[in-house]
Amino acid sequence: MTETRPAGAIPRPDPSAAATGASRLGRRARSLLLSDYFVLWLSLAYFLALLPFLPTLGTPANLANLLSNMWPLLVVAIGQTFVLTIAGIDLSQGSVAGLTSVVGAMLLATAAPAQVLSNAPIWGVVLTEAGGPLAGVAWGTALGVAAMVALAALIGLANGAAVAVLRMPAFMVTLVTMIAVGAFAIWLTQSNNIRELPEDFVALGKGTLVSVYFGERAEPQIPRRQLHDFVTWPMLIALGVAVLAHVALNRTVFGRWVFAVGVNRTAAEISGVPVRRVIVAVFVISAVCAAIGSVLYTARLETGRPTLGGGNFLLDVIGATVIGGTSLFGGKAKILWTFFGVLFFVLLSNTLNLMNLSAFHIDMVKGGVILAAALLDVARTRMSRGAAP
Amino acid sequence: MTRLTSLAAGAALAALGAGSFGSAASAATICFAFQDLETEFWVAGHQAITTTLTEAGHTVIERNANEDANRQLEQVRDCIAQGVDGIILIPQDGESATTIVAEAQDSDVPIAVFNRPPSDLSRGIVVVADNATIASQAVDHIVAKALEAAPTDATLNALIVVGDLGDPNAVGRKDGFYAAIDKHADRFNVIEVASQWDAATALANLEAAVTATPDIDLLFTSSDFLFPTIRSVFEPRGMWKKSGDEGHVWMAGLDGDATACQLIKDGYVDATGVQDLYFEAEQSMSAILAAIEAGETQPNQVIEDPGFALTSDNLAEREMDMWGCVLLAAGFLNK
Repeated sequence: MTETRPAGAIPRPDPSAAATGASRLGRRARSLLLSDYFVLWLSLAYFLALLPFLPTLGTPANLANLLSNMWPLLVVAIGQTFVLTIAGIDLSQGSVAGLTSVVGAMLLATAAPAQVLSNAPIWGVVLTEAGGPLAGVAWGTALGVAAMVALAALIGLANGAAVAVLRMPAFMVTLVTMIAVGAFAIWLTQSNNIRELPEDFVALGKGTLVSVYFGERAEPQIPRRQLHDFVTWPMLIALGVAVLAHVALNRTVFGRWVFAVGVNRTAAEISGVPVRRVIVAVFVISAVCAAIGSVLYTARLETGRPTLGGGNFLLDVIGATVIGGTSLFGGKAKILWTFFGVLFFVLLSNTLNLMNLSAFHIDMVKGGVILAAALLDVARTRMSRGAAP
Repeated sequence: MTRLTSLAAGAALAALGAGSFGSAASAATICFAFQDLETEFWVAGHQAITTTLTEAGHTVIERNANEDANRQLEQVRDCIAQGVDGIILIPQDGESATTIVAEAQDSDVPIAVFNRPPSDLSRGIVVVADNATIASQAVDHIVAKALEAAPTDATLNALIVVGDLGDPNAVGRKDGFYAAIDKHADRFNVIEVASQWDAATALANLEAAVTATPDIDLLFTSSDFLFPTIRSVFEPRGMWKKSGDEGHVWMAGLDGDATACQLIKDGYVDATGVQDLYFEAEQSMSAILAAIEAGETQPNQVIEDPGFALTSDNLAEREMDMWGCVLLAAGFLNK
């Protein structure tokens, strides 16, 4: 039915049209909030908003730094994503990173100073002045990395078994693991770091495959400062892990089981999902991701460190995952979201550094952003339930 | 400006001369990356460097890594991306220092490491105290006093609170302690207590050690900042006594902070090895500014602070040579 209006009559605002406009705007806001790309748009908006005030932000050198800081954190956050999806939490990722860092370094080191490490229990047993048992061995780096991953998988297995079989809360289990494994790592070297790692291992954290240079080539030798890392080994490793994780979580039956356990464990059990095995597998994945992250961190620092993964490491990992949109209530996650969450988190840290804020202010802001992300998660969960038919 | 800032800057500038760091005409942007400000030494060093550079017209970008080596590496990379002219670094430990120095030099940015040296001294400007010599001077003093006070055939218990051995400073201090003790190796039974440069760790380990061996005759702490921790363990056990009192434990430390100065004056502590904080700060700043001025991107130099030991015997003559006593005289502990 159409409405006719006399010629020359002044049109009056139609309240129903205004309501329709408001409702359209509301729908758009809701669709943006529920979009898979919400955090990406947020990151872009944040980047563009700050660019006029922080010109360094968009320089190739800074962008290369941003990328370089993303990769190790992304790998660890992917592991946490799996655990959060089953409505769990893994607080032991930091200490697993520390222990595997020490174990990898003590196996791979090409030399070690007796003056520093002679009091360590590993001295003379695994590590000597000539280095670790894999020093100079063919495929030594691969074996060392495999040992790191295998050790992490064992720790993840223990965590998962305690949660799945003994039905202990994940928070408590992983808290105890965090304390015990962290202390064990420190005891192994008596809190000392192990340096002198082989070059091929260090390349895993710092190796560059493609560097870029912007500008005319005026000199035969381009200064290193003007060459910017673009494609690196950490990037390839992290993206490889991300793709595998994406396929596992979103394209396989195992992934569906993970979501089913996160949404409702009892319903999943009744439906025939092997809940215990899924929980154990998820904690193994989380620990293995922590170990791969540890490889990248250990290699970039060129040192096996028992304290790696201490301090605010967990804040960064869980924060980045939650900011991405993975629900703390379980049953809602995507690896893409975690990727965007890590991107935003690293961008946030970088911009706060460029603003010359102190470490304390930076942590306060990060904490506030994580709180906002958690509140947003609640809002999004309500909205998506409201939108469901 | 806070009182401490004025104090440290004043002391530093008085010692160095305000004109030593160039004028605003040759203003440089310096990244000052430090691991934390946990002790008096680092606080005073931080204030001396930032205030002196700022007042000389240079821009200082501060980065606090909060004791996280990975974060410090990322912060230094951010500084390099910002195009700073030079970097002054207080690293978390010797190993991360080596990595960060290499990172800066590979990017053609001159870097100076203040007080905590890299495990590889061949790269970067490294300003470091001769920890072994300073420690042995301080320990020599208490060893002589302890032997003098003990029967000639007695074996004494000497306790060392060791720092984080990933830090070359801690290694040097431990070596200095043993250099002094080994001169009378047959007279001492040594007990090692790990602190990892952490007061809580030191407290737990020291309590366990003193419970196992209550009759400690001599104690050396690898850093003065642990004296309050030592007091909290010794006092309830009746071991916190002044020199001359029955049961006094001969004690020495290293750093030369205001607390140690007060304790030496009060007679609880007998000696402390002194790092010349303002000398080290001056050397770091002038070396990095000279490198920037000369366009030198990879300067390598080791600058040693000889230091000395302030003891109960030379207190009257050398008190004001110690940075902690300067701060104490200006009311630092009454803030």
